[in-house]
Amino acid sequence: MIDELTKEIEETRRSLVHELEGAQSPETLAALKERYLGRKKGRVSLLLARLRDCAAAERPRAGQAVNELKAFVEEALAAAQDRSAAAPGEWRDPSLPPSRLPAGGEHLIAAIQRRIEDIFLQLGYEIARGPEVELEDYNFTKLNIPAHHPARDEQDTFFLEGHDEMVLRTHTSPIQVRYMLEHKPPLKIISPGKAFRKDDPDATHSPCFHQVEALLVDRGVRFSHLKGTLEAFCRSFYGPDIVLRFRPGYFPFTEPSAEVDISCFLCFPPAGSRAHGQSASSPAGPEAAGSRAHGQSSSSPAGPAAAGAASGADPSCRVCKGSGWLEILGSGMVHPQVLRYCGIDPEEYSGFALGMGIERVAMVKYGVPDLRLLYENDLRLLGQFG
Amino acid sequence: MKINVEYLKRFVACGLEDGRLRELLAGLGLGTEEVLQVGGETVLDLETTPNRPDWLSHYGIAREIAAKDPRLRFVPMDLAAVDLGAPGSGFAIHIEDPADCLRYSGCIVRDLAVRESPPEVQKLLVSLGLRPINDIVDVSNLVMMTCGQPLHIFDLETLRGGQVRVRRARPGEALRLLDERDVKLDNGHLLIADGERPLALAGIMGGLDSGITPATRHVFIESACFDPVVIRLGARSLGLKTDASYRFERGMDAEATLPALRMALLLLARSQGRALKPSFFQDAYPRPQSRPVIRLEKDFPARLTGMAIPEAEAAAVLQRLGFRLRDDGAAWQVAPPSHRVDAECREDLVEEIARVLGYDRLGGEMPLTANPVLRVDEARPRLQRLKARLTAAGFQEVINYVFQSPEENRLAGPEERPLALKNPLGRDFSVMKNSLLSGLLRNTAANANQGFERVALFEIGNAFADEDGRVVERRRLALSAYGQEQRPDWRLAGREFDLAWLKTELAALARLLRLELAFRAAAHPLFRPGACFRVDCGQRPCGWCGEVAEAASGFHKLERPAFAAELDLEALLANGGEPRFQAWNRFPAARRDFTFLMARARTFQELEDAIGRLRPAALESYELTDVYQGTGVPAGQVSFSLSFTYRAAERTLTGEEVNEAHREFTGRLAAQLGLIQR
Ligand SMILES: [Zn+2]
Repeated sequence: MIDELTKEIEETRRSLVHELEGAQSPETLAALKERYLGRKKGRVSLLLARLRDCAAAERPRAGQAVNELKAFVEEALAAAQDRSAAAPGEWRDPSLPPSRLPAGGEHLIAAIQRRIEDIFLQLGYEIARGPEVELEDYNFTKLNIPAHHPARDEQDTFFLEGHDEMVLRTHTSPIQVRYMLEHKPPLKIISPGKAFRKDDPDATHSPCFHQVEALLVDRGVRFSHLKGTLEAFCRSFYGPDIVLRFRPGYFPFTEPSAEVDISCFLCFPPAGSRAHGQSASSPAGPEAAGSRAHGQSSSSPAGPAAAGAASGADPSCRVCKGSGWLEILGSGMVHPQVLRYCGIDPEEYSGFALGMGIERVAMVKYGVPDLRLLYENDLRLLGQFG
Repeated sequence: MKINVEYLKRFVACGLEDGRLRELLAGLGLGTEEVLQVGGETVLDLETTPNRPDWLSHYGIAREIAAKDPRLRFVPMDLAAVDLGAPGSGFAIHIEDPADCLRYSGCIVRDLAVRESPPEVQKLLVSLGLRPINDIVDVSNLVMMTCGQPLHIFDLETLRGGQVRVRRARPGEALRLLDERDVKLDNGHLLIADGERPLALAGIMGGLDSGITPATRHVFIESACFDPVVIRLGARSLGLKTDASYRFERGMDAEATLPALRMALLLLARSQGRALKPSFFQDAYPRPQSRPVIRLEKDFPARLTGMAIPEAEAAAVLQRLGFRLRDDGAAWQVAPPSHRVDAECREDLVEEIARVLGYDRLGGEMPLTANPVLRVDEARPRLQRLKARLTAAGFQEVINYVFQSPEENRLAGPEERPLALKNPLGRDFSVMKNSLLSGLLRNTAANANQGFERVALFEIGNAFADEDGRVVERRRLALSAYGQEQRPDWRLAGREFDLAWLKTELAALARLLRLELAFRAAAHPLFRPGACFRVDCGQRPCGWCGEVAEAASGFHKLERPAFAAELDLEALLANGGEPRFQAWNRFPAARRDFTFLMARARTFQELEDAIGRLRPAALESYELTDVYQGTGVPAGQVSFSLSFTYRAAERTLTGEEVNEAHREFTGRLAAQLGLIQR
């Protein structure tokens, strides 16, 4: 036992001498001190602890040897410390770089979804969820898309083996159906989540994608409320100068329906158009506070430049390709048939619904050029947005 | 839908240059997909919507333009002079079921000489993407492109029995189509037949036998209106999609058959260079169709939209669109024109009014609806904290498809029958995933191959199962770690990931969420035997963690060990309960270390179980301070150091009491587990 201990004492001594060579910085010396004299795991302390295991007769001699070692270590370290402090060109470099700790991050799609949710939560909406494998009835029929209707062609659908009545939901709208069936108006929800369409993946299509939809049903809800809400959302999300353009559109579950474009946040509208847009339809303006029935006329802030490039847009803009406008969402007044199917009387209530694709936002707002990149989960992409 | 702008302007003299025209159409809801220049003429490829079959013709677009601008007028071809003749005899049209065929108008024209169409007709068809064939076939296409009504023209001499019948196919009947495909038919297919055999797939495609050939002399021209669903199902079942079926499945105008027939005669007369009079004509219209009248309160358009819409303006717009209005005091009774098969309710009329007046009249205002539920979502902030913790620990979030290959499902559930897609995009995406981990391992391999040394990932998503015929989806959190935990630098030592790191992270996550996690040795096909733990959350199993099994890491060609966990997210998001104040123990604690050798065959969990059984009342806590297997430790043994903290609730323990309790406790531990005290 004692022989083994003596050997280890010698080894410890040698290794300290070795490690002290070239050790100059206070940090290194402090680390050495901890390694040798640390109270619990210092090499000397461990040796001291092992004295207990020595036979009683050997213990004094062994104890002396370890104590000598301890004195030697203390002296050697103190001397090194003195040398270090006295050294004429004392080397300390506070500008040494910080260590790089590993960093993870949120997936871009999740981050966008969270931001959109945050805005609607602040506008007083509740988040509703529903299953991804959905009843065909909720995904289509209750949304006024009857079986054999050509509108079903636009949403190529995945079906499940052995579950004839189920589909992978093609949009998050069935969440709204479920919510309407279970709750009485007023309703104010958003329904974020995954949706699926049988599209081969390419730059602008993905068989799996994400949507956020909003639904508001109450007495006296009108089209202008939809626009005001979208203005509030888009100005929070895309920038305070954004103006909207509504174009007639078609969705089986809304009537009237509108495709919504926003002015390009990079190049359009030109300075000055904001005041115009605000006066036309300020969501916070005094006219919004009272529930003025109708007659809020306004001209489109950007003019009815529905097809051609908006004057003032940058023809070389990489975001809008020079048109000045970005297609970002679909919306409309909830179709009375949908309300009826969901147990709500359309004579008493009306509502609006809007929906946007999160992948589309990733492309438009964050410049991701190809949807497939979002599902490859390459850290070179994800790390840019985490 | 391709629209030749020159041709369009024959029916509405709008004088707009192309850009302005596109703007006007976009304002009406007709986006331009593409602008083509064909033979010096502008062709717009318009994006139409499934609810507006009337847009699928030059007439339809001309009507829209005329409605938008009160100064313009829609001027269709003048067909007044075309004489269809009186219903004749010697030939007959039979509709077996009026539900399948709403109307069937037809006529026979004799003594034609098949020739090329006039150059301007050929040029027009080419500009619209159609191939000119001969004047007879071209006329049927031109009529369809002009007014939207699909026609079919038969070679009369191939028709037997002096009749056409609109009937369902009998099982086993077959037909060779114009594109020379042979199709087998059943009762779901609607046919045009003669007295003996099928001639054509009604509303979809003609048959080869009865088609126009250069030798054709006499023709039978069909102008009909079929049921949309029958046409759609028939076309789908055969994988066919033609210009005719596309229109019929959207619903055609039953009133359009006769004008289309007249137009065909007029155009055919032009190419044949002589007046034509049918030798036979019949209009089979068993149940005349009428559109429902819609009641529209006069203030409703403004009420639903919030737009300023004077009543007179609303009425004028509807009238320009061809709706007939009867004033009923507070409301109008509105009769849609026959071609507006989409107009069914008052909201449809509001869209018409708003659309034609222009959506740019719409202002924005905030709804005053308060959040009626006022139920605060507690899970969401917990989810955010969970994600923040994971990302701070260096996990990157990923999102994968919900479907994967059956082989991947088998890695997690070798015996499970997978929930399979009927129509997957391919074998690799053919089953709904039963675990998120295969996706993470796939992502791990891809990133490791890119040269990333550290790949720590997490995903939140659903795992699916078929439980007794019911589809069950559960939200899960999955984590994986592969490679280097910490890259060495001037002040930090490099470290590889190991299972203890992953368990440490899970424990930290649990502490943050105020949950009690426990790891129990278990077995799961995804994890290596002996390095697999069931994770219990508040005593209930909520998932698994461990070192990834050879089967799974080999499947994804991972060369180094991977560590992973998959947990039920709802269990993590459930509120772990609120803390309550507890007075802390004011008496001093005493620590005693215990270093011993334990046989390698034993596990730390066994030791912990024994501590749980034997712990003295004064033992407050313990921690593992060292594990050592180097020099001085005999083979087959591992050296452990535990530090025990003793404290009594009501008094200060004496050193002797602590020593005594410690000695007795560690003695019993050692005896039970065969530990060798050092
Ligand atoms: Zn731009």
